[in-house]
Amino acid sequence: MSAPARSPELIAAGYPRSRPRWAQIVTSADHKDLARVLIVGALGFLFIALVELLLMRLQLVVPENTFLTPVTFNRMLSLYGATSIFLFAVPLALGFFYYVAPLQIGARGTALPQLGQIGTWLFVAGAAVLYAGFLFTPSEAGVNPLPPLSGIAFLPNNGVDAWAAATGLATLGFVGIAIDLVATLRRRRAPGMAWRRLPIFSWAAAIGSWLLLAIGPVMLAAIAMLLIDRNYDGIFFAGDSGGSPLLWQHLSWIFYTGSYMLVLIFALGAIAEIVPASARKPLFNRGAVIGSLIAIAVVGTLAWMQNMLTAPIGLGWMYFAMVMSLALIVPFGLIFFNLIATLAGGTVRMRSPLLFATGAIVAIALGLVTELNHSLVALGWRLQHTVDSTAGTHFALIGGAVFGGFAALHWWFPKMTGRAMGETLARFSFWTMLIGSLIAFVPLMLAGTEQGQVIDAYKFFGGTGVSTYNLIATIGAFVLAAGILMTVANAILSRSGGAPAGHDPWHGDSLEWFALSPPEPHNFDLLPDVRSPRPMRDIRDAIAHRSARAERPQARESQPVA
Amino acid sequence: MAALAPHSPGTDQIDTLLWIGFAAATILFVAVVGGLLYVLHRYRTERGAEPRQVTGGVGTQLRAGGALGAFAVIMLVLGIVYTDKAREAPATGSAGLQSVDSEPLKIATTGQQWLWRYDYPNGAFSYYKLVVPVDTTVELDLVSTDVVHTWDVPELAGKSDAVPGKTNHVVFRADEEGTYLGQSATLSGEAYAAMRTAVEVVSPQRYEAFVETTKEDIQAAQDRVVGLIDSGETP
Repeated sequence: MSAPARSPELIAAGYPRSRPRWAQIVTSADHKDLARVLIVGALGFLFIALVELLLMRLQLVVPENTFLTPVTFNRMLSLYGATSIFLFAVPLALGFFYYVAPLQIGARGTALPQLGQIGTWLFVAGAAVLYAGFLFTPSEAGVNPLPPLSGIAFLPNNGVDAWAAATGLATLGFVGIAIDLVATLRRRRAPGMAWRRLPIFSWAAAIGSWLLLAIGPVMLAAIAMLLIDRNYDGIFFAGDSGGSPLLWQHLSWIFYTGSYMLVLIFALGAIAEIVPASARKPLFNRGAVIGSLIAIAVVGTLAWMQNMLTAPIGLGWMYFAMVMSLALIVPFGLIFFNLIATLAGGTVRMRSPLLFATGAIVAIALGLVTELNHSLVALGWRLQHTVDSTAGTHFALIGGAVFGGFAALHWWFPKMTGRAMGETLARFSFWTMLIGSLIAFVPLMLAGTEQGQVIDAYKFFGGTGVSTYNLIATIGAFVLAAGILMTVANAILSRSGGAPAGHDPWHGDSLEWFALSPPEPHNFDLLPDVRSPRPMRDIRDAIAHRSARAERPQARESQPVA
Repeated sequence: MAALAPHSPGTDQIDTLLWIGFAAATILFVAVVGGLLYVLHRYRTERGAEPRQVTGGVGTQLRAGGALGAFAVIMLVLGIVYTDKAREAPATGSAGLQSVDSEPLKIATTGQQWLWRYDYPNGAFSYYKLVVPVDTTVELDLVSTDVVHTWDVPELAGKSDAVPGKTNHVVFRADEEGTYLGQSATLSGEAYAAMRTAVEVVSPQRYEAFVETTKEDIQAAQDRVVGLIDSGETP
């Protein structure tokens, strides 16, 4: 045993001991590391969902095609639905909330980091279960596995059980992350960061997290009932012995409708950060946008029965759903109005995030007006369960999660990596995606509206007037996929090869731009006193003011614009 | 191929509502996207001084919200008016099958993997093909014996789900003789896409002849089976 050193020494070099990268990631409870797992995982599953979508579109390229068997098609459909919602759209939104919101409010970490860690890895576990099921027998019950079809009597293999376990684990994880976000937003705000000064995207994170706390447990209850029915002779969804198949429809549609709203809240929250900074003006009316986001969460989720207009639920409930759906015109319209009014009179610099934000608004608007038609009860009887419904949902969710998600990715990528994403490739990607999504889904709107082509079918028949539409839609899906892959490639290439972006590439107003790029593990060494909703702008003004007083040359913009 | 044409009073109303909805959707979409593209085009610049930091007051928001709310209310009223019209059970016309109590012709309709079965009032039944008299109010009472199916013949009526344990209803009055094709519209398993149906609209005389001969044919087949069993010819 060596003698103790005579005087204490400060040993900083090599401490904390560096561990392999993977060990660092899997043991980290830092919100930024976990958010990267969510975002990278979501983008990976976007790729897998695209493969599944393209396989289905290839099956539907000509009438009565035999490229996929009916069972394979139904498996692709089920995997596609679970992947795009539970493994792509929701985790992508949550990932950005989880990365950005603590930085925006000036927190040095989240309030319940272990819960967020558990939540993130539950999502990974859910994904593993879904695709471990792929090695055996995936579910054949479709995007929303309605009982009795999803019951043990009709699908006796373990596919639906794997689906239920996977989506249940992922949903449980989302709820854990949402709890951490709510606690962080309530308890970890920097001095002076009152709710009235909270950045819009953090408001979106708060609203989205509360929404998930409301709808997540509903889905978990439904999944638990489904598993009990299938494995322990339950009768929750058995119509002939006291249960009701409609119970599942209500519970699952509450979750699906709520998560649809969550994705739109995420996208609009990100766009409401991008638009003011790109126009160099404050948001036209913060209060109206925040109130509208809350209204979308509440009213939008209450419209869940809009998906059940053909079910035997009673006309009064159908009118209730229509009232809720039509009421959404006001908050969505107000947000679009405020975004346009923010751009008006500004000096608008069109960079890739604003470009994707524009695409997001176009696609979301197209999706929402389609949903509006589907909510007019009698018209819903005509249009629902047709491929017009597929197209409308895809426009809204591709607008929200893909265009909106890519806008957020281009916007915060410099913060996450210290490097900007390539602008040229971003523009190619954007135009390819926009054209691709229009070619892929507008023909389906026509096929659904004009000819009533039904949803989810593994084939269609010749002579029904939809062959050309389906051929064009398949071509469009490939173009869309090519555009999406360009952005994924851009992200991978820019991670190490992008231009250094500095800490505040966009002249943002909120505090994430005050942190380093990428931020230190503890986010901030010191924090300013927050005195307005635009603290970063206050900091820039103060620096400019001091520089001018010191009779130095006029302070230039501190960072080059990417 | 031409778009689907309405062939029942209910689908006439749905068709009108489709055009109303299409107009409303176009107005909203053009307003949002047109406004957005205009400001992006008008105020796009690479250089320029910092713009005036203008924000809007509550009054502007109330006016904008009020206009949007009025639009929503108009759509709601139109939606309710046309839905009520589309639901109205029309009386059987003069060219239709006349019944004593002017009740609609009720046909029990059963969805099952992957066929539709129709049971006529006289006890006859048919699969896949539904035969109904023209200009006659027909009510389908929808049930399912297995999973959820959606009955959908878009030219005659809106969609309705057949759910096990609950009865749903479809009412229509076909205005023209002919065959109208339909397809089940809720994923019901392996052969879902092949679960089609055809509604054959015929004159009341031919309808009555059809149900009579079908009933006799079914009875004859039944008698033959019983005869075969009685005579010991079946294994």
